[in-house]
Amino acid sequence: MLALRQAVTRRKIALLIILSLLPLGLAVILDSTVAEAGSLIGPVLGGLVISVTLPITVMVLATGAFGNEVEDRTLSLLTTKPVQRWTIVLSKFAASVVVAAPLMAVVAAVITTMDADGTGNAPLAAAVGVIVGVVAYSSAFTWLGLLTTRALGFGLVYVLLWEALITSFLSGTRYLSIRSYIFGTAHGLNDRAFGEDLTIAMVPALVGAALVTVGFFLLTTRRLSRMDIQ
Amino acid sequence: MTTAFTPAVEVQAVSKWYGSVVAVNDASFDVYPGVTGILGPNGAGKTTLLSMMCGLVKPSRGSVRMLGQEVQGNIELYRRIGVMLEHDVLYPFMTGRDFVRLAARLQGMNDESAIDRAIHAANLEDAQHRATGTYSRGMRQRIRLAAAIVHEPEVLILDEPLNGTDPRQRVEFADFVARLSAQGKAILISSHILEEVEALADRILLVVSGKLAASGDFHAIREKLDERPFQVRIGASRQREMAAALVGLDAVESVSLAEGGSIEVLTRNIAELQRMAPKLAQEIDSRLYRIEPLDDSLESVFSYVVQR
Repeated sequence: MLALRQAVTRRKIALLIILSLLPLGLAVILDSTVAEAGSLIGPVLGGLVISVTLPITVMVLATGAFGNEVEDRTLSLLTTKPVQRWTIVLSKFAASVVVAAPLMAVVAAVITTMDADGTGNAPLAAAVGVIVGVVAYSSAFTWLGLLTTRALGFGLVYVLLWEALITSFLSGTRYLSIRSYIFGTAHGLNDRAFGEDLTIAMVPALVGAALVTVGFFLLTTRRLSRMDIQ
Repeated sequence: MTTAFTPAVEVQAVSKWYGSVVAVNDASFDVYPGVTGILGPNGAGKTTLLSMMCGLVKPSRGSVRMLGQEVQGNIELYRRIGVMLEHDVLYPFMTGRDFVRLAARLQGMNDESAIDRAIHAANLEDAQHRATGTYSRGMRQRIRLAAAIVHEPEVLILDEPLNGTDPRQRVEFADFVARLSAQGKAILISSHILEEVEALADRILLVVSGKLAASGDFHAIREKLDERPFQVRIGASRQREMAAALVGLDAVESVSLAEGGSIEVLTRNIAELQRMAPKLAQEIDSRLYRIEPLDDSLESVFSYVVQR
């Protein structure tokens, strides 16, 4: 509860609302002007939500999970108690997921529903893919927030350079991209709405997301156990 | 529970450095039940030392054992120690009672009466249901103290606990610490104010520039501090005659004429000098403008002990 209360500040809520309304507004505008199938799933869901809005939303929440505690020096209030370090990490990670996952899943599902291709289980596939992404990003950004006080800057560079740019052009790097895990999962659940461009198969996508999640979770726990806390 | 003869904390050849900056340099000491004061000027390394003792900072060299166990990475040890660090941090959205309750829950306790006792000990019953964001500095210190003692620890580490407290709260705090000490607990209190530690501690660890400069009984160290020579500036007319007269005083070790026409005197008995200087001035028909100590800062006091 404490982690959740810290994650949801007024400023963050305002930012999350803006980040959610932006793609929804764009989708409404495009839907009323371009009535082609795939015109929303491709540019708005893929190009904006999954590539930009989702990672930035999670980044704001997850980097602050530990980052804010390091900055205001409240971390020692937790680490001088008989609490296993992994449970502290889990609470921070879970807080980011609990806030970001429903929000992003709803945004993804609504945009998919508005698209002519978004029939059948397509909204569900989009929501599940997005949740997989939220989980993986949360783990990575929670670690980044504990690693450096400049987590937002590094996170932004990673999202814009690696996830949005490099993995779009170099096909081999897609196996190392959370964005590809999202597309791969959605494609695996509904291959009609979510095309094969930029995707990997569902199994490697889920395995990749799991490895990222567990790997960064362990790194965060290790870091919290070994770092000097001032 | 430790006894008066077994150390609650054993610090062995501990050093901590950050790059080329040495925060603590080869400190070794034991802490026994009772109140031990860690005294030193700001930036002396007190907080780093305490952080290493709490396991929050890993020593670059040496080891810290508490209650017979290695501190570093020993999470279960926190059931037996209470920590209140210098940083004035709370969760401002929480009420005081919820903050103490959180500390209790993190200790695995679900005992509301323990929370009542801790809040009562901190004398915050009236404000316990207010958000800590509305607390004064002294109240914040006290609610943090309540959270540190809610699980009745055997060792209590308090970093600058009297910051922001008023004189009445200081007296209450001294009583509170004395009660804990009488129960056989080991209490470590850091401060950069000599008089604060004097009122609370039986033993003292004097830290200067990252080094343990002195340790032991407070009164012996206080006597040593009081024996140090003081440098005093005296402003008077007829400086040469005044300086010659001052040299004849037993309390004066040396006299020199400084630039600007003042006299600088080295004395081990500043009270005697302050009493005698006006009389001498009257005798030689000199006009006395001022008598002011030049080096009464804590740093100079600590430096003197280090040089000894």
